[in-house]
Amino acid sequence: MRSARFRRTRRASAVALVSALTLTALAACGTSSSDNDGGASDGGGSSDPSAPLDPKTKVTITIDCMPPAAKAAELKEWKEDVKEFNKTYPNVTIEGRSTPGQCLEPPRFTAMLKAKSQPDVFYTYFTDLPQVLDHDGAEDITAYVNDKTVPALKDIDPNVLGTLKHDGKLYGLPTSNYTMGLLINRKLFKQAGLDPDAPPRTWAEVRTAAKKIADLGDGIAGFGEYSAANTGGWHFTAQMYSIGGEIVDASGKKAAFNNELGKQVVKNLRAMRWEDDSMGKTQLLKWGDLQKQIATDKLGMFLAAPDDIAYMAQQLGAKYENFGMGPIPGEKATLAGGNSYMIKKGISSDKIKAAVAWLNFKNLTVGKGQFDWERTKADGLPVGVPQPNFWLNESKTKDDAARSEHATMPVENFKTFMDNPVAGKAEPPKAQEIYKVLDNVMSGVLTNKDADVDKLLSTAESQVNQILANQ
Amino acid sequence: MSAPSLTQSKAGPPRHSQPRETSRATPGGSFAKSLRRNLTAHGFLIGAVLCFAFFSWYPMVREFFLAFQKTEAGETTWVGLDNLRTVFNDPAFWQAWRNTLLFTVLALVLGFVVPFVVAIVINEFHHGQGYLRLLVYLPVMLPPVASVLLFKYLYDPGYGLLNEVLGIFGVPEQQWLQDADLSMLSVVIAATWMNMGGAALIYLAALQSIPGELYEAAELDGAGLLRKIWHVTIPQTRLILSLMLLMQIIATMQVFVEPFLLTGGAGPEGSTTTVVYLIYQYAFNFNNYGAAAALGLLLLVLLAGFSAAYVRLSRAEDE
Amino acid sequence: MSTRTLISPAQLARPRGKALYWTVFTVVVGGFTLVFLGPLYWLISSGFKDTQEVIRTPPTLVPESFEPDNYRQAWDVMDLAGLLGNTLYYAFGALAFQLVLDVAAAYSLSKLRPVFGKAILGMMLATLMIPATVLVVPQYLTVLDVPIFERNLLNTPWAIWLPSVTNAFNIFLLKRFFDSIPKELLDAAAMDGASPMRTLWSIVLPISRPILGVVSIFAVVGVWKDFLWPMLTLPDPAKQTLNVGIYSLSSGVPVNVLIAALTIASVPTLLIFLIFQRNIMSGLTAGGLKG
Repeated sequence: MRSARFRRTRRASAVALVSALTLTALAACGTSSSDNDGGASDGGGSSDPSAPLDPKTKVTITIDCMPPAAKAAELKEWKEDVKEFNKTYPNVTIEGRSTPGQCLEPPRFTAMLKAKSQPDVFYTYFTDLPQVLDHDGAEDITAYVNDKTVPALKDIDPNVLGTLKHDGKLYGLPTSNYTMGLLINRKLFKQAGLDPDAPPRTWAEVRTAAKKIADLGDGIAGFGEYSAANTGGWHFTAQMYSIGGEIVDASGKKAAFNNELGKQVVKNLRAMRWEDDSMGKTQLLKWGDLQKQIATDKLGMFLAAPDDIAYMAQQLGAKYENFGMGPIPGEKATLAGGNSYMIKKGISSDKIKAAVAWLNFKNLTVGKGQFDWERTKADGLPVGVPQPNFWLNESKTKDDAARSEHATMPVENFKTFMDNPVAGKAEPPKAQEIYKVLDNVMSGVLTNKDADVDKLLSTAESQVNQILANQ
Repeated sequence: MSAPSLTQSKAGPPRHSQPRETSRATPGGSFAKSLRRNLTAHGFLIGAVLCFAFFSWYPMVREFFLAFQKTEAGETTWVGLDNLRTVFNDPAFWQAWRNTLLFTVLALVLGFVVPFVVAIVINEFHHGQGYLRLLVYLPVMLPPVASVLLFKYLYDPGYGLLNEVLGIFGVPEQQWLQDADLSMLSVVIAATWMNMGGAALIYLAALQSIPGELYEAAELDGAGLLRKIWHVTIPQTRLILSLMLLMQIIATMQVFVEPFLLTGGAGPEGSTTTVVYLIYQYAFNFNNYGAAAALGLLLLVLLAGFSAAYVRLSRAEDE
Repeated sequence: MSTRTLISPAQLARPRGKALYWTVFTVVVGGFTLVFLGPLYWLISSGFKDTQEVIRTPPTLVPESFEPDNYRQAWDVMDLAGLLGNTLYYAFGALAFQLVLDVAAAYSLSKLRPVFGKAILGMMLATLMIPATVLVVPQYLTVLDVPIFERNLLNTPWAIWLPSVTNAFNIFLLKRFFDSIPKELLDAAAMDGASPMRTLWSIVLPISRPILGVVSIFAVVGVWKDFLWPMLTLPDPAKQTLNVGIYSLSSGVPVNVLIAALTIASVPTLLIFLIFQRNIMSGLTAGGLKG
């Protein structure tokens, strides 16, 4: 009998052990789902959304896209800004999260929205609003944003704010915006006997200049383009805009690039890649690859937003004086984009107020945060780059003055870009899906000498039409 | 997650026939006893079963539902065959299948034949076997992303080493990943380099168990090298070969990392877009889980055929 | 190597045979060294080149510049220590879960034989036939919101550990090995009054060491090599695995630093492999499937 009881208890404990392991495993699985939700007030602020944050409020907000360790200078500035912000709001804790590399990658972003795992304040591209709203991911902050909470509100370009609105409701605050131009390597321009202060203004001039630069040999390419990871389609779009073309027609239901203009873009690329051999051998490049090339003096020019220079200076060890910029060749229109912060749906009103206060301080105050050009200069970052570019009126005058006072970039490097503003044009609807399709046009022409231009465009057209029909 | 990848394809111990259970029908008090026995047994099982239920069986069922649903702005509706229609109408659909097929064929030619030949060759050597086995298995231990990025660097037509080295042997310069006709082959070469070690070692173990007398007998019949391979080596390893073949088909049809990192997924003119990559695109770039599930279902149906063959073989092997 | 193989010893003993053997041997050893160690040499040496040399056309075989600082930079900037730590944590956690739960399940299915045992085993094996990547989408949605428990496992190690238990192949291997353990052995233990737990612990497991070794290797290597699943379920950069971390950083650092990072990432497993290669190799071939 004794042995029987012994056996039973052992058996029971074994059963318990195994099942308990699984159950606790499942049950203990983190609390990540719920700790950010719940609108309970965690401080003692006013319930009126339009009132600014009460400085006594004790609240913690999480925010992503804090500069990573690789961007040492920007990280230092971030920390200083938090410290100064805390002088006014000592009880607000800013909990930053950083991503080395590209801060927002579309697949990761989608996964984050699906999981509702975005931090309280999350970084987005201007084109992300529809997707965020699809996932019910962002709070309507119309009531929270006014002259008291964001004093410079009236001086923010309404077009920029417009990209963050849906049905008249505001869902985000801009961080930066850009219009694309032609980034050039001044050293290579000089070596090739070109004038670095007069970047090419038409695509024909780009082709001639690219040829001259490529003739330097040593694996140097004259002009570079992307053709993978959606960035190829993004730049195809920019090139279409530059010569007056469209990607999607006015109805938003039909592709509009399979025409003479589209062919012109593709044929010009084909001529540069295959007739002149001025675009380098390595293709299927994506964001980050051209920057590496131009930073190591292996590339003469490519289409870029001005802040690529800051990126290259910090992360790739490039010298920013070596770069200059001209307007996008063609100059009919240029792709305009940017990024913003949105606020997670469902967080407490105090958190929203704290978030607006922080974003206002860091990103939307002339002379402070990202607009403290004196500090930017002291930290060895480029000043004088025309980005962000959303101020109007009095704020613009003040900010421009500060920028030129502390400029570290020789002003003439950007003179052509500044003197020849090109109208900005927003990205097409369903941008990422369309870019994916247009990647094939770019990779087709850049990797296949005998690519059939008409077929590339017509295939892409039918695919884009299908994407547009599916919305 | 539990993919039968190359490295996981090992089977168990020497077979012994399972002795029949004899104590089962003891009369008297057998009910309580059997109940207790069952409770214990299920107690041991429950942990794994729960994991399977949550992370394997339930997702399988869910896959099926997803394929016929659409979720928009948080609302899920039944849409019948709409998702399948979307998938079929996608111009990339047939290209993805062609590519997947091509990849599978190439991966079998390289990834199946090469390790077998390598195993045969290594098995013949009386020296340095340990060193060669070590070499072949080395890449399996590298983090795949490191191997893939290394290959991307090797393949680069400008500063890549591969064209240089092949140039010594008179091979003309190639564009590798950037040539729509070569890109898939380049991906397969990289994949084979990374993964063949596991298969080669398994074959090697199988080869070493072939009784030497069989070769002697074949020689007495006057068989040459190739005939010995054909009539002795292959029949003697037939079962493991067919098992590995099926596992490889299933594994290669799921390939993702290699094209994703080498060519950005789609490749030149979409030449490396595979079905799995398309599924990934739908789900995580286009946010269309319904289409992703529908396409997954189609892949599932196709692989079910191979899987049925696999079951049959592993059962035959079990007996 | 005394076993008789494809080529007869008599043939090899002849002078021509000997010459041929050594020629082939040299070519194969040379070729294999080039194919398998060549890329690794290039990886390590390129990590020492400066930013200009690393992308020079044509490439240099022996670095002309020497910048060991690349390695330091790679270590700091990419936080390789953190990524490595994460990966080991996930891999050994998965190993522990599999060793406990899968061994228990296989033992139950093999020796305790509960009702429905066959059906359960069948359903488990059926998952082998379904390609893992097809299930990625519903599995991912499940992890976002585990039914009944209503937990979101995203960014937690559970998202790796629990699904890793559903490794039907390992259960299959274990069960088959347990099947081969003579029943008399267990019956004798039962006679002595040992519980199933005790039998498992002190009789079955000690003789199952070879198969446990194999299963452990598969468990660890599985997590170590996985890419898509951790990329989806661990989006938080601080929690990423080595594979995913390197991937997401690859665009943001100069080429030479990236290559140095790849080298560093490869070193730990290579070391482990070289130190334990005897065990790993014999584990892989132990009780190999005979044709």
